[in-house]
Formats: sequence, C-alpha cells, structure tokens
Amino acid sequence: MHFAPLPYLDPGSGSFLIQLLIASLAGIGVALYTSWNRIKGWFGIKSKPKDDDEEDDDAESK
Amino acid sequence: MTTPSQNSGQLSASFRDPSGFLFSRDGVLYRQVNRKYEHEYARLMESGLYDKLVKVGLLIPHIEADQPPAEEARAERSEPTGERSRSEAYKVIQPERVPFISYPYEWSFSQLKDAALATLSIQRRALKLGMSLKDASAYNIQFVRGKAALIDTLSFEIYKEGQPWVAYRQFCQHFLAPLALMALRDVRLNQLLRVYIDGVPLDLASELLPSRTRFNFGLLTHIHLHASAQKRYSGAEVKSRAGTMSKQALTAFLESLDSAVRKLNWNPGGTEWGNYYDITNYSEAAFEHKKRLVGEWAGRVKPALVWDLGANNGVFSRAASGAGAYVVSSDVDPSAVEQNYRISKEAKEQNLLPLLLDLTNPSPASGWANQERDSFYGRGPADMVLALALVHHLAISNNVPLPQLADFLAKWGKWLVIEFVPKSDSQVQKLLVSRDDIFPTYTREGFESAFRQRFNIREAVPVQESERMLYLMESL
Repeated sequence: MHFAPLPYLDPGSGSFLIQLLIASLAGIGVALYTSWNRIKGWFGIKSKPKDDDEEDDDAESK
Repeated sequence: MTTPSQNSGQLSASFRDPSGFLFSRDGVLYRQVNRKYEHEYARLMESGLYDKLVKVGLLIPHIEADQPPAEEARAERSEPTGERSRSEAYKVIQPERVPFISYPYEWSFSQLKDAALATLSIQRRALKLGMSLKDASAYNIQFVRGKAALIDTLSFEIYKEGQPWVAYRQFCQHFLAPLALMALRDVRLNQLLRVYIDGVPLDLASELLPSRTRFNFGLLTHIHLHASAQKRYSGAEVKSRAGTMSKQALTAFLESLDSAVRKLNWNPGGTEWGNYYDITNYSEAAFEHKKRLVGEWAGRVKPALVWDLGANNGVFSRAASGAGAYVVSSDVDPSAVEQNYRISKEAKEQNLLPLLLDLTNPSPASGWANQERDSFYGRGPADMVLALALVHHLAISNNVPLPQLADFLAKWGKWLVIEFVPKSDSQVQKLLVSRDDIFPTYTREGFESAFRQRFNIREAVPVQESERMLYLMESL
C-alpha cells in the first residue's frame, strides 16, 4: 500500500482491490441514477427525496 | 474492554492500537491519547465531527481529564533508541462509562444490524469532515441509552483523497458476513463470532451462504468476490498505480455497503420461546402479581445493575427497569431477544439491554491471553438477579442440583428474586414427560433448604392463582 501513514490494521491486498472494483461499479451506478433522474426531470417526473438521516442532522445543527 | 490486566491498570482489550489505550485508576476509566495521535485527535475535536456524533448519540462523550498519564507499561512501544525517556502521552481523557459491555455474539440480529448501520453512518459523517474510521470492529460499538454508539474515540484517522477504506475487510467480517449468515442461512450462526474474534472469515461465509446469494449484487461483491480476491491476492503487493479512489467513488461504495446491510432482514418466530406467553399456564392475575412483586422489590432494594436471566421478551425486566435499575435482559432464544430489542427500541428505552445468553454455557473469557473479551460472569456481579420461571429448566432439563444452583446464583448477584415452580405445575410436567423423575429433592422444602445455605430468605410470596412461589433473597 502506498498510503502513509501505514494503517495499523492490515486492510488486505484482495480487500483493497475488490473495493476499487466495487467503487467503480457503484460510481457508475450513481452516475446512471443521476442521469436517469435528469431524464425523468425533463418529463416532469420528480424523484422521491432520499431518506438521508445525515442531512437531516446537519440541517438541524445549523 | 473491561477486563483489567494484572499490572498498571491498563485494560487488556485495548493493546493493539498505538494511538492510545484504556486504563483504570481508582475505579475510573481513562483513555490515554498518545502523541502519535495528536493531529487526529485535534481534527476530531476541531472539525465539529466530535460534537456532531455525540449530539446524535453515535459516539460516547468524554471530558479531558486533569490526570497524569499511565506510562510505565508502554515503554516497549517507544522508539528503540534515544526516545525512551520522552513521554508518549499527549492527553488523558475520561470517556463516559458504558453501563454494561456486551459483545456481538450476545446480540440479536437487529442489534448487530443497528451496530453495522451506526458504523457506516459514522464513517459517512466522518468523510464529510475530512476523517475516516481506521477500524470497523463490532467490539467498538456498544449500546448506550438504548442506541448503538462508538466507544473508541481514537478510531478516526485523517482522510486523504484517493485513499480507500482501510477498515473495509473488518467491516465485512464483523458485520456483513454474520448478518448475511443469520438472515439467509440460520440465525444461530452469529455464534461463529464467539470463535472468530476478528469476525467471520469471508471464505467461510462464502461457503456457508446459500448459492442464490450470488445473484444479490451486494453479497456477490462484498462477500463472494471479496473472498475470492482475498485468496487470489493474498500477500500480493498492491502498487500505487493500481489506482486510487475518489471521494465520490468512496461515498458510492459506502452506499453500496449500506444497502447490502439494509436489505438483510430476519423476523423472529418459530424458535423455542417466541410465543411463550401465549402458551404458558399463567392466568392474567398471576402474571400481574409477579410483575408487581418484582417492581416492588426492585424499588425497595434499589439495585443499580439487574441481570434478568431467562428474560424472554423482557416483561419482568421492565418491571425492574421501571424502578430505576439498568437491566441486562438475557435469554437463550434468539427470537425472544430479537422481540425484546424491538420492543425496547420502539419505546426508546434507555436502561434495558436485551442480550443473548445461554446460562448453561455463558460467554467465556476469550481472545489474546483469554483477557481480550470478558466472560459474562466477569462483567458482574449484578446487584440483583432475576430468575423467574427458570429453576425448573436448570434443575430438571439441565440436571443442575439445587445446591449448585444456589451457589451459582449467589455468586452472580447480591440480591435474588427467584420463582419456584413445583413439580405439579404443568410446565414441569412437560419437562418430565419423556424422562425418569430422578429429582426427589425438587420440592418447595428441598428448594428452600438448598438456598438457605447461601441466602437469607427475605420474602416468600405465593403467586396468585398459581402453585408457584416468588422469593426475595439476600446472599449471605
């Protein structure tokens, strides 16, 4: 691994590589989802707001 | 984290992380923060992450204590030359004390799931503020005021763009794999966590999961492919050109983990006691009378910590927690514990902890030097033990002689509320139906005389509309 400082737990080479793979797939998924929502938006279909507890908390603490 | 080691008060579960460690002094629990961790600690406190997590109950609060560090035991961790004399300690903090430490193999399905979701939620919040969890151990999560919360303040590192999540493997082993096995194979497989202290090995999980889970994107990638990748690239050096992960990709990745966890569900029912109260022989009056007595006696003795053994879904535990005690409400049946947790969560109860525990084989001390995880007994004794509708199971089904049962219960708590269920009771008859009655001393007199060896009997009350007796006893 090239990230300094070295982690105190061994993240594992295989775990690292599979993470990169899943992240790129998930990234593509998010991109597709966003574009799909944009396309739906052109036709005036609003997507359901995402249930994001973190955002709620952030808003609350402001 | 509660097992005290024999020297220096340093606690033996927190030896792995060089950032700091727990120690106890004069009965108070402290965490030393080492210099090595100075920047990370400062970032946690100054970025607003600490405040945010504490506010929503995802991290236990602490105060910076005006205490000298606990140095002596740490000399060997210092730099090999020249640096030995320099203090490693940066700060001493005093975290809020968790009322009762429990372990993932003692949690019901939803408890483990909530602990997993809490970990991911903490990681997402941390990422927004430029930090990341450097470990994802289920043992770092405890139930505080009824909610899953991180208890290791030193679990954060500074996030660098491009960096993957170093705790990913641990998250899968501690959370995703056991949850998937519980939901899709058998709920009892959470007991694998008792053997594998760093979580279920992914190749084992992959083998045990039904093959249809290969059609589930989350489980296919995070368990099956993950296990194959581990095997294939074991020990391989990952070069920097192997690629980095943008923050956006990491966020999407965490979403994928979160959705894999959320999709796993398990519903209680079909196991031993799931609907116990529907098939029991109590009348409503007997039930209410018992509840009232437990509440009254807990109110009189005012125990801080109560262990309800064989609590089922916690009805009588609530009579005690209602009187102000913190109640560890344990049962051997995963369905009962799951129901208990759901009730507790729904009602936002703060002083009741449902726990999976087999009294005939309670959680042992385990891990490094047998000191990393405490035995159940080692986390006591309690101030009061509730043993309701339990004696006949231990004495008859499990063949424990009554004097040994009295010894055992006297060690576990100062006060005891115990119910004697006579042989004539239909529940006991059921236990005897397929076996010889080899229990000539299992009578009310035999019971009282065995328990008098270890206890003073303070109260003995016949339960209304039943043949059962309820006792309040104080150990000698």
